[in-house]
Formats: sequence, structure tokens, C-alpha cells
Amino acid sequence: MSTVISRTKTSAPGGRRSARPDRSAWAFLLPFVALFAFTFVLPLGYAVYQSLLKPIRSGPLGLGPATVGFAGLDNYSLALQQSAFLESFARVLLFGIVQIPVMLLLATALALALDTVSNRWAGVLRAAYFLPYGVPGVIASILWGFLYVPGVSPLVDLLGRIGLAPDFLGYDNVLWSIANIVIWEFAGYNMLVIVAQLKAIPQELYEAARIDGAGQWQTALRIKLPLARPALVLTGVFSIIGTLQLFAEPLIIKPLTPAVSSSYTPNLSAYTEAFANNNIYLAAAESVILALVASVLSFGFLSLVNRKERRDAR
Amino acid sequence: MDTPTPSRRAVLRWGTGAAAALTAAPALTACGQTVGAARTTRQEPTRRGQKVKLVFWTWVPMQKTVDLWNRTHPGIQVEMQAIPANVQGGYQKMHSSLAAGNPPDLAQVEYHELPGFMLVNGLTDLSAYGADKLRDSYVPWQWKQGVFDGRVYTIPQASGPMGLFYRRDLFPQWGIETPATWAEFEKAARVVKARGGGARICAFAPNQPSWFAAMCWQRGARWVRTEGDTWVVDMNDDLSREVADYWARMVRDDLVFVEPDMSSAWYRHVQTGQISAWVGPQWGDALLRGNAPGTKGKWRVAQLPQWKAGQNASANWGGSSTAILQGSRHPREALQFAHWINTDRQAVDLNIGVGYGWPAAAGILRGSALDRPDPFFGGQRYNDVFAASDRAIDTSWKWSPTTDADFAQLQDAFGAAIASDGALASTLAGAQKSTVDNLLAKGLKARSAR
Repeated sequence: MSTVISRTKTSAPGGRRSARPDRSAWAFLLPFVALFAFTFVLPLGYAVYQSLLKPIRSGPLGLGPATVGFAGLDNYSLALQQSAFLESFARVLLFGIVQIPVMLLLATALALALDTVSNRWAGVLRAAYFLPYGVPGVIASILWGFLYVPGVSPLVDLLGRIGLAPDFLGYDNVLWSIANIVIWEFAGYNMLVIVAQLKAIPQELYEAARIDGAGQWQTALRIKLPLARPALVLTGVFSIIGTLQLFAEPLIIKPLTPAVSSSYTPNLSAYTEAFANNNIYLAAAESVILALVASVLSFGFLSLVNRKERRDAR
Repeated sequence: MDTPTPSRRAVLRWGTGAAAALTAAPALTACGQTVGAARTTRQEPTRRGQKVKLVFWTWVPMQKTVDLWNRTHPGIQVEMQAIPANVQGGYQKMHSSLAAGNPPDLAQVEYHELPGFMLVNGLTDLSAYGADKLRDSYVPWQWKQGVFDGRVYTIPQASGPMGLFYRRDLFPQWGIETPATWAEFEKAARVVKARGGGARICAFAPNQPSWFAAMCWQRGARWVRTEGDTWVVDMNDDLSREVADYWARMVRDDLVFVEPDMSSAWYRHVQTGQISAWVGPQWGDALLRGNAPGTKGKWRVAQLPQWKAGQNASANWGGSSTAILQGSRHPREALQFAHWINTDRQAVDLNIGVGYGWPAAAGILRGSALDRPDPFFGGQRYNDVFAASDRAIDTSWKWSPTTDADFAQLQDAFGAAIASDGALASTLAGAQKSTVDNLLAKGLKARSAR
């Protein structure tokens, strides 16, 4: 309660000051609002609307003309009854729990390492690490796909010669083979975000640390990491959303192995419903559920991090 | 503070207003809205001398045939656009274009997909444009694939009678006679495993439910039938279970590779002779020829192995039609092209060259490109085998309008079964249930047969 009162007290004068809406502010906001409405709010609203519809059939065997009627929440209950759809969430969660920490650890380690090497090499290495991000996900998946297929892949061939016979596309392994592709694609990107944050740290802090007798390791752990926290939170949120929306990689790998099912990830499930099964209404419901889960998880992660931050600050 | 600032109120009003407009506008049209195709076919009048342009989507590389048409029919120019094959993206593209109201005039649609396209009003009623009088130009059972409720909805292109491709050079080396029954085929598989130095007789492809369906078709199963206005699904029958058990045993005893067919790994095995036979369709000849040119002259084709010695049961895998999608503005010209590309002798010969399948045109075989000895098959007149196979197909097999979804689920179930206990037959009950669910989800009446 107390926080609410204190907030209204501080905001009240502000409200009086701008008693009239500032027209110029709206003019500045307009391009954003227009794009936001057109590419985000409208499609979202349309998806929600479609998720509430269903076809009504007529004629012999239902092959006659059909109309669209309201379904209420039928599509949602149908989606939540499909065990394959629920399993796809479990799968991406498992994927995220393993892949996100590995990727962010790698990105952080790379960023810290780059921050210490000399400037001339830093540029070259940074570009090299970042390069995979420039390769579209589909192409990356095709490239890695060739490296996974036995009989074609030199990698499998080499490992086979030294007595290892990895089945990259096997039922238990393919999820981690996909994780490898995603890490390859995005570790460099996340590294760059963290590097940018590290560059923003004032040099005085390093000088002060050096004077206090801190070595490279201590500077990295006590100064760089805590100050890179906003970047880590940001990359964490992006990664959570990206993981839930996993689509291109499994879609491309799917023809190579029966282990990737048509509802391997929530997005793939919605895609299959929409375009293979031609049930856009169910697909819309699945997409809305996916969006809800993604926002719950990312806002949950943010509030968790913020709570910890507040606790730490106290 | 009780009242929010005016700006906030304005924003709120804008927000609720927009939201209301958003939900209200489409809601008004919802009741009259039809499912599927956003635009219906209509013949657009053409002026004298005006060129008609048609767009044709197919994944069979028929460019040469289309070029021939364009040379001989200056008034109707067809642009062929290559699309990904079937469920690998082709149908997804067609369904999106139907929903968006900008479909191509013509598209390749497989027979088992036609009921699904009917369900979204995706096909033009060709009877309205005089298609009925073309009936006698086609093989009756292929023609009937596109007839619904007495109306013609598509022009048949080709089918896929099945046979046994095998390596004539390898089988005798291992002391194997060409298997005539499935029991002999299994025995041969054991010999290949024992003597083949890592080779296997063939691959079981868990990604190919339509192949498995063809195997059940040959055994005599009937997965879908209709009773009144209800779809009855019968996939978990004894015959299908027998087929599933047979292949489960082949997988369990490591007599076959388990890998997606027509994939790079599979082609590699075919090229190196690691795979020595293929239970495949007639249109597979072009795939072998194109992807394993080094094996030229070594292949032969034999009759599909039988479940009982002396039987003559066959099956069909694949088969496509040239459909005129809902929304075309030139259905008359499109129909003219669809009929020409599937019956003109020169066109059919060009199509055969690119492996379009077993012609649906009646009486065209004799003297066609299929009717000659082939060096890739060591000079065998291999299409005689497929001609016999074609005659032995029980053509009463029916497809469900949810085949894509049913197959996707069966494929997933096969993959899961092979990764665990390998019991393929036990997936059929689940596949049957999910097929019924798919039909119900489409608003159709459906039940399980048992």
C-alpha cells in the first residue's frame, strides 16, 4: 500500500504539468505506433479472433460448402488435450534449461576473453565469432544437417574411424544436435551484446581496481561480470523467447530423421496444424498459447532478476 | 489521485476503440464467411487476339513439356513454377495461396490429397467447363480419383504401380533368387546381411507412411470407408498389423537400414550397393537413374513380392493430378492445358522422361517412351512389369480428407516406436484414433471401425 501512495504523490505534479497531451510527442510516436499496430497488434488480434472460430460442414460426407462459426474456447481445449503439443513445450523447456546457460556461458567467456586481448586481434576475433549470426538459420541447419548425416558427413566418418559412432540424428541426440546449431548461430551475437556492455564500463573502475591490487581474474569476476548484468539479462530474455519459438532448425532437420516429429516444437506444431492439417483455427489457438507462455516466462525471468537486484541493492 | 491524466485517458479510449473495431469488424462477416479459398473460379472474357497467361505449380521438372505447349499454343502461355514436393512445402504453399486468394491456375495435387482440397473448397468444379466429355481419354480408376458427388474436380496425371527394383549383379553373388513372396524376401534379407559385408536388402523408411499404406493396400487392408455420411477408419485391422509386424521383425533383426528414403544417406547407400533392392513405385526409375548413374545396367525390376505364392496383388504409391485451383480466372484454357499435358503423345513422352509416373491417359502405353528396353535396367522392358502391376491394383482403396495430418502422426509414431521397442503394430491403434480425431476436428462425422 505504502508504495502506491508514495507513487501517486510523486506523479501528481507531473500530471498537472502536462494537462494537455503534447501534440509533438504524438507526432514523434506516430511512426512507431503505426508500425506497432500494423505488424504486431493487428496480427495478434486477428490470431486471437481466428482461434475462436471453427468450420461448420454440410453436404454429403461434409464435402459440401462449409461456413465458419464461433467455437468459443473449443480450439484451446483441443490444443491442450493434444499430448504431442504439451510434450513440445516440455521439449523446448528442457532444451532451454540446457542450451541457454551453455550458450550464455560461452558468450560471456568469449566476451571477457576478447576484452582482455589486444585491440588489433579483438576486431578480427569479434568478427569471426559473430560471423555465424550472418548465416540464416535455414542455411546453418542445412550445413549442419550435412555434417550429421552418416555416409555423407566427414565428421561422422572421422569419428567412426577412431572408434566412435555418434548418431547425431538419433532419437535421444537430435535435440542436442539442434542445440549445437543454435549455439553456433547465436553465441557470437550474444557475445557482441555483452562486449558492448563491457565497453561502456568506465576505465576509472579498472584503474581503481588495479590500485586496490585486483588481478585480471578478480577484475573480471568482481567488476566486469556484475556490470555486464543488464546485457546478460537482455540476452537471457531474448534466448528464452527464441527457444520457445524454435522452428527453422527442426523443420530443416526433420526430413533427415524420423526423430523430429511434426509437432517437435510448439511453433512447428502450429505450422503443421495450419498448413499440413489445414486447421488455421487450431493453429491460431496454439500460437496464442505459445505467446502467453513466452510472455509469462520472459516476464517471470525479468521479475525474478529484478527482485534479486532489489534484494542485492538493499 | 482519482482521475488519470487526460493523455492517459485518451490513450485508453484509443486502445479500447481500436480493440473494439478489431473484433467487431470481422465478427460481422464471420457468419457468411466460407472455409478455405478466398476467391472462386470465374471465366474472364478475353478479347480476340489477347494472350492468356496461366501459372502452373508442379514439383515434377516438366519445363520441356511446358515449352512445347507454349511453342504450339501461342494464344495460351503457361508459366511453370517449380515448388517443393508435396508436404515438404508444396501443399503448404497452395493452401496459403488459396486462403490469400492468389492461387496459381494449375497445380499438381496427389490423389490422396484431393479429399483434403475438397474440404477447403480448393478445386474448381470442372464439370461446369465440360470436363465430363474427356473421361474416355483416361484410365477409369485414375479418373475416378477426381470425381466427387458425380462432378469432376481434377484431371488425372499419373499413378505409381509398385514393383521390386533389385540389383541383378549382386543377388546371384550372394546366391539369392529373386524373391516372389514376402517370406522369400525375408530369407533373402537374412542372406544379404550374412554375406553382404555390411549391405542390407533395403531400407525401412519410418518417414514414409504412404509407402506403408501401399504395403497394407497390397495386403488387402482398407483404411478408410464411408457409411452414410460418416467416415469409418480401419487402420488397426489384422492385415495392417500383419504388415507392421513383418517390417518390425525386419527392423528388429537388423535386416534393413532404418533411414528416410530418397534422402542423401539413402542415395549414398543406393550408389554404393549397400542397398540392393527397393520396394518402390514405377516413378522411382527416374530417381535411381538420376541419383545413382554409376549403377547403370545393374538394376532389374520384378513383380512385387506376394503374401501367398501364386497371388497377384499389387499396390499403388503416389499418383498425381493436374488440378485447377479455386480462384482461376481462365478455367477453360487451364482445362485445355491440363488435358493436353496428360494425353498428348509428345507431352506424355517428355513427362515420362522426367519420371512423372505411370500415365493416366488411356491406351497411350503402346509405342510410348515406356514401351522400350532400357539400358539402365540392362535392356529389360521393365515397364511391362509395371503394366502388369498396374492391372493388379485393387482400385477400391479410399483416402481420408485428413491424410496429411494422419500421415504426419503415423510417421511420428513410427519414429517413436523404432526408437523404443520397435513394435510398429502397436502404433496403429493410436494412428486410427488420431485419424478419427482429425476428421472430427474438421467438423466431420467419423468413427473407428473397431
